This record gives sequence, structure tokens and C-alpha cells, in this order.
Amino acid sequence: MTQDLQYVGQTYPVHDAPQKVTGELVYGSDIELHGMLYAKLLLSPIAHGMVTSIDSRAAEALPGVVKVFSHLNSPADVYCRARLTPEQTLCPRDETLFSEHVRFVGDRVAAVVATSQAIAEAAVALIDVQFSELPALFTPEEAQRRDDLPIHPGGNVFFEYDEECGRPGESTDAVVVGSTTSTPRIHHAALEPHVCVAQPHSTGGLTIWSISQGVYGVRTVVADLLGLEYHHVRVIKAPMGGSFGGKTEFILEPVTAYMAQKTRRPIKLLLDREECMRATMVRPATVSTIRTTCSPEGQLENMEVASVLDAGAYASSTSDYAVHMCKKITKLYRFPYYHHRSQAVYTNTPVAGAMRGWGAPEIVAALEIHMDRVAGELGMDPVELRLLNLMHPFEVDPVTEMSLGDARVRECLERGAAAFDWSARRQRSPGSGRYRRGVGVACGAHKNGMFGKFAEASNMTLKMNEDGTFELGASLHEVGCGIVTVMKVIIAEVLGVSPDLIAAGEADTSSTPFDYGTFGSRVTYVVGACAKATAEKLKEEIIAAAADLLHEPRERLTVEGGEVHVRDDGRRGVAFKDIARLSHMRHSPAITAAVTYYATSNPASYSVQFAEVEVDCATGLTAVTDFLAVGDVGQAINRGMVHAQFQGAVQMGIGYALYEHVDVDEFGRSGVDGFKNYHIVNAPDMPDIKVLLIEHSGDDGPFGAKSVGEIATVPTAPAVINAVNHALGTSLSDLPATPEKILAALNPGEVEA
Amino acid sequence: MRLLLNVNGMEHELDVRPTARLIDVLRLQLGLTGVKEGCSEGECGACTVIVDDKAVDSCLVLAVQARGKKVLTVEGLADDDGLDLLQRMFIEHGAVQCGFCTPGMLMSAKALLMADPHPTEEAIRLALAGNLCRCTGYTTIVAAVRSASEQPAESSSTPPALDGAGRDV
Repeated sequence: MTQDLQYVGQTYPVHDAPQKVTGELVYGSDIELHGMLYAKLLLSPIAHGMVTSIDSRAAEALPGVVKVFSHLNSPADVYCRARLTPEQTLCPRDETLFSEHVRFVGDRVAAVVATSQAIAEAAVALIDVQFSELPALFTPEEAQRRDDLPIHPGGNVFFEYDEECGRPGESTDAVVVGSTTSTPRIHHAALEPHVCVAQPHSTGGLTIWSISQGVYGVRTVVADLLGLEYHHVRVIKAPMGGSFGGKTEFILEPVTAYMAQKTRRPIKLLLDREECMRATMVRPATVSTIRTTCSPEGQLENMEVASVLDAGAYASSTSDYAVHMCKKITKLYRFPYYHHRSQAVYTNTPVAGAMRGWGAPEIVAALEIHMDRVAGELGMDPVELRLLNLMHPFEVDPVTEMSLGDARVRECLERGAAAFDWSARRQRSPGSGRYRRGVGVACGAHKNGMFGKFAEASNMTLKMNEDGTFELGASLHEVGCGIVTVMKVIIAEVLGVSPDLIAAGEADTSSTPFDYGTFGSRVTYVVGACAKATAEKLKEEIIAAAADLLHEPRERLTVEGGEVHVRDDGRRGVAFKDIARLSHMRHSPAITAAVTYYATSNPASYSVQFAEVEVDCATGLTAVTDFLAVGDVGQAINRGMVHAQFQGAVQMGIGYALYEHVDVDEFGRSGVDGFKNYHIVNAPDMPDIKVLLIEHSGDDGPFGAKSVGEIATVPTAPAVINAVNHALGTSLSDLPATPEKILAALNPGEVEA
Repeated sequence: MRLLLNVNGMEHELDVRPTARLIDVLRLQLGLTGVKEGCSEGECGACTVIVDDKAVDSCLVLAVQARGKKVLTVEGLADDDGLDLLQRMFIEHGAVQCGFCTPGMLMSAKALLMADPHPTEEAIRLALAGNLCRCTGYTTIVAAVRSASEQPAESSSTPPALDGAGRDV
């Protein structure tokens, strides 16, 4: 579908880029309020045990200390920090503000509130906490085996899900292939540490500045926990320095709000990097075993999958994560029988939860490494095998029973293979010397919002000011990828005016209408569609006002270039700014539109990625030397930022494949306490990421746009791992493929000096 | 203790603790919150400032170490005529996403271009090696610095046309 678009599809900076390059933007961690106090947490040094005593007298005696909090003086009510809305399911309430029963190294034991950060830090060191240790369980296998040692009441396997569709085939000549893939616990590593600021009011209410991805969810959790009426809790989305899902869950908001309420002073709780790494959230470690049968020609027949997620010490969102791991494979490949069981298991390790892709990078890594295994067994080219089995546009996903929409994964693969020169590069010998080259491919699928699960909707208001400029009222949560700009561009396209004439800001529960937030790959597809519908309604209002002014029926009027014209009479028209000015007193004091938009579809977004690597067989180090990311994005709204999303997502995926992992030692202590021992790919190590967009605009998103930010990282890691396996002739499936694992997989005798 | 500090061309007479880090004096005493703190151990580069023409992690130096030297923070990049060329290139190449690494990136890039106005791509990437970004994959950032290095200084007031933050193959 070719569209005649004026603003959509061009390149724009993020809306606050000028404030970011000058240092003017006040991030959450920059907020200072008059009379503000500073909090410092005391985190559990042990992995599992009971707090037997807390002596905080020395801390309380320190000048400047206002109060010390712990389970001794705070509610024992349990809550789920991932809850978005009061009646939400799959949100086990298992967490308290401060733990008496500590369940991982990093659990919140106490907090000091003081007049300065330095005093709070000094005072925390003066608190004497005694523990009685309990046996700790560090892996899902141990936790499953030792159900006599429940980390929470109810047992360690706290969630199981079973997805089955179709009927098993019984071919006699079928080829059976099995594989097991492990994906690591990794950290979001957003550059800005977690922070929350809360200010109590004499009305009994609170204002919270949150760098979360959903302010209404913060309100749900905080208000319910503190017993406040919702209209007394105002949550403002503060500018944030990156999230990637790490700030989706409300980790600091409940405890900060509680301490502010009790001290009746504004409080800032800002974590340092070590606290971020130990005590916030990680992507769950997973193990997935896949067994497929297929015809000797490569047609998939049956697929049986078992996935185990390490939830860490608290459930947060891992139950839902386990469900969604079972909803990706059938978006990619067509086969008659699918059975997927997933389990979420408590362990005494860092809390796992939301991260970019919500289960898709984990299961797609297992699937796509497995597909290369199948291709190897059959002696087929990995691209050929995939093309034989990939879904076609408008097929139905047998698991969700919804249409995949204008699903262009096959085109991604075909055009990507051509652009990457796949066939020639795959056939090239990896070499037999110290440095070996290989190429790999992987396909990935993700979704577009939450339709099918919730009443997926968004609400917006849009008004025309008296000078013909516009203001959007919407609960937007900018995480850095430019969603505010996306909304402005969509509205600009509908109204035919420059995006510069539209003001849009971020969410504030006291003044912007309800929206779930920025997650679930819902922003462009659902929130963006709401922006389009709202702009269309406002356009009708503008035409109605112009009809009054021009004494013409609406049907004769048309909008172009910031004016309303009489059709077939180019001389007669009225500019938006004159409509706004004149109609303010004559027609209506406000030209506004308010829309609730309901999503009615949830198509798949796809990405197919191609990696070339060079492995140093002497050191085991892998360099990614070339990379192509192809995206089925429907229609790019902000083209440059879509490219940049893919480039950043690939950077994250390369880390997932090769470098990043948060492991715990025999005491449950993570070896990661900062960036010095958590390797994020830096500029010299990043290849130039090429991006190819497939744009058919055949779905219900605004101008046909689909989700980008999450799908972009889904197939990266398996593409890299498959390239490593191609280079080395190995079958590595334990991520990340660190030098140690690569050297262990190689037969050293094979390496020529 | 008393400290005379020249920051962004202005002399400040400050009372600082001898152990105060430069970042704390800049952020807390002078309100220059464009200096970001991401890791506190010199790994992420978000707090990079320029001290006498050299990019330094302001979390790793004491304020007193800057005595008698000229400190430039991101707040000092723009002047009365507008944004610095690098700032404009960062905006126009889409090199800014969450923006938390941006001030540090800009200062490392500025120090590079002060020392080497026309660096190779490799030199740009090496100059930014100590500045971590989790959003962009660095492509747009490197492109922004390269673009700034390719423009003659006198034409810096004329913004170039958009070239898209990424590229199709």
C-alpha cells in the first residue's frame, strides 16, 4: 500500500532533544524539593534468612537522621509491584515494604531517612542487623527438588502454564531433533539509576515523581498499599534515563511514598549503581528444551517445548512472562501440533521481571538455535528451512486464535538474505586457522499491544489553541525512543500542519487521561491509533467551526496546509489560526476532541536478522563484524528513530548473546556490582548495523505502523549464536557464548598455531 | 575549604569539603545537573566534563584537583549565538534518545575535536569508548561527531539538511 504522506515517515529528533543536549532537562535523579530528605536502603547481605534483631540506636543518634524504617515499624501487607490495575490477574502479592524474611542478597531490610545523602549513607552503616540464616536455593532445579524449603508459602514452583494446539502427527519417516537452550539473567543497565521522589501533602495525599513506564499502575500499587483514595495520589512521569523494562515495575515507589507519608517530608530515594545491579530487577534466566519432528524435506510436524523461568526471590511479572513465552513460536512457524509447558520458579536470587521483549528474546533464542540444529540434521540451508515453514500474511495464530495481520516475515527473510548476500557468505568456508568467520540468521516475532487479554484502549484529548496551535492531553511515558514525537507526527499528518505546532507532554494522573503506559509493544499501534482518531475528530470540529464562519455546508469543505477551503473554490478559505481566534467567541470557546480508542486487532511484528562474526579460537573472543536487521514495521512514523531503535536493540542483543550475565556465587551474591564487571558493548566494539524496513502498512495501526522497540531485539542473540556455531562447527546453546564456553566447545588440537 | 573554580567561563568562590568529588560540587553546589551520575566509578562516562582541554570523569576527581583549571560542562557548550555544532549534530542525527549519556558523550566528543578537528571514524569510536550508551548502538552518535568534524567552523551557524538517523541498505 503506497500512501501519500507529508510528515509520517520522515526523521525527527526526540521531542526533548534540545533540553537533553544542553543539560537543561530535569531527570528524576535531578529533582530537588524544598525541605527534601534523602533515603538510603539497607539491603540484605544474605540470600535467605530471618531478621532476628535490628539495632538502629546508633544510626538514630547521628545528627541529621530523621527516621529509620524496617519491618518493625512498617506494614506487613503484601503487594505485587507489577500490578497495573486493581483486578489484574497473574500478580501474586508476595512482597512487603521491608522484609523480615529476606529472600535474596539485595532484599530491603531497612532504610534511613536523613537531611543529606551523606548522612543517610553514614547512618545505614551504623545499623546492626542480626539474621538467622535459612538454606538458600539458587537454581530452579534445586528449588523444584527442595519443595520442603519453600521460599514463599505455597511452594517454589508458583506458576505453571500449558499451551496445546493441533493434533500430533505420526509420520513414520519423521526426523526427530532435540535441543536445550539456556538464556542468562541479564540487567537492563539503563544509564540512569532507579530513583523516586515523593512529597506528602497536608490533605493526606501524595505527589510522586516516578521514572516508571506507567503512572496509573504506580497509583494502583501505592494507593492500595497505603490505603489512600486514588484521587489523593498524584503520580507524575518524570524524565528518565532509559528503562528497557527495568522501570516498568514499581520497585521504589511504594517504599518512598510510605516513608514520605510517615515523615511528612518530601523524600528522594536514589539508588547507586551497585544497588541497581543487585536490588532492582533482571531478565529471567530461562532454560527451554525443544523437541521437534519434521519430514525429511524439512516440513515441521510436531513441536514440544518445556520452559523453566527463574523468577528470583519475588514473583513480580514472571507468571505473565511464562504465559507469553508460549505465545511466540506459533506466530513464526506453521506446523500441525504444538505443546508448550512453562513454569516459573522462586529462587534466592535477584528478582526477575519485565525486560524488553517480555519472553520473546528468551524463547526465540531457544527456537532459532533449534532451527539451525534441525537444518544441520537435514543438511539444509537455514534460510531454506525457515522459508519452508514460516507463516504467510493473514494466517491465524493457532494459540491466540487471532489473525497475524499483514505478517511479512517471509519477505523480511527473502529480502534480507538477498541484501546480506546470504547464500554466498554461508557457503564460504569459515577457515581453519585462529580466526574463523561465520554467518547466522534468526527470525523473531512479537505482538502489538494487549488486545486479546485486556480491554486494550487509550484515551486522549486534543485542543486547538486560540492562535491555531495544538495541545495533546495524553498519558505518554517517554522512555527515550521518541513516543512523544511519534504522537505529534501522527497528529500533524492528520491535520496537515507541522509537528512543531503541536505540544505534547508526559503523563500526570491528575491531568492526563488514563492509559496503561509504555510497554507491551502497544504505544505506536494502540496509543498512536488513538492519537490519529483524536486528530481526526478534532479535524471534524475544525471543519464544523469553519462551516459556521464561511456559511458553507461541511461537505463542501476540505482541509489543507493549515486552512479549511471551500472545495472547488480556491479563493475561499479560512486559516486554522483564524478559525481558532474567531470561533472562540462566535462558535465555541474551545475546539477540542476527546476520544477513547479501542484496539480490535493484535497483529504480529517481525524482525529477521543476519550476523557475521569472527571468532578468535585462541582467546575465544567473538567480534560481530557485520549485521543486518530487517524489520516488518508496517510503516515507519519517525524513520530515523526506527533505524536507531534497531541499532540499539541489536547492541543489547549482542550483549545477550556474548557478554552479559548476572550469576550468583555459592552464597547467592552476584558478581556484578557495576559496569566494571557487567560488559555493555561500547562504541569501538559495535559494528555498523544496517537496517532494512519492510513497510506494507496493512494493519490497524496509525498509517499502518506496527511495533518496533521490542521486536527489534528479539532475534539478535540467536542470529549471533548461529553465526558462532557456523564459524566453529559447534552447537553452543548456553548463552552468553563467553570466551570460556567457546574455548571449552572447541577441540584445542584442532586449532592451528 | 575555600576553592576558586572556573566553570564554564565563570569564576566561583566555593566552600568545599577536601574530599568532595568534582561531580558533587558541580551538581549540588553549582546546580549543573547536566553532569549525570550513572555509575560513580568511571565506567559509564555520563559525568564527563572537560578540565583544561581533557575529558575527565568528574566522579573520579576531587573538586580541589580542578583548582586553577578551566572546567567545561555541557551547560557551557552553547553560547549566546546558540547551540554548539556538536549539540546541533546530535539533535539532527537522532543521536539523542533517553539522553542520559548525551552530556558525557558531547564532552568526550568536544575534547576529541579540540585535539583533533578531523578524526578518523576509529578515533571517534575510541574517544567514546568510555561513554556507554544503552539506547542507540552508537551509530547515530558516531555519525553526529563525524558530521561535526566535517564542517568548517565558520559555517557552524548553518544547520545542514537532515540526512536521516539511520540508513537503508
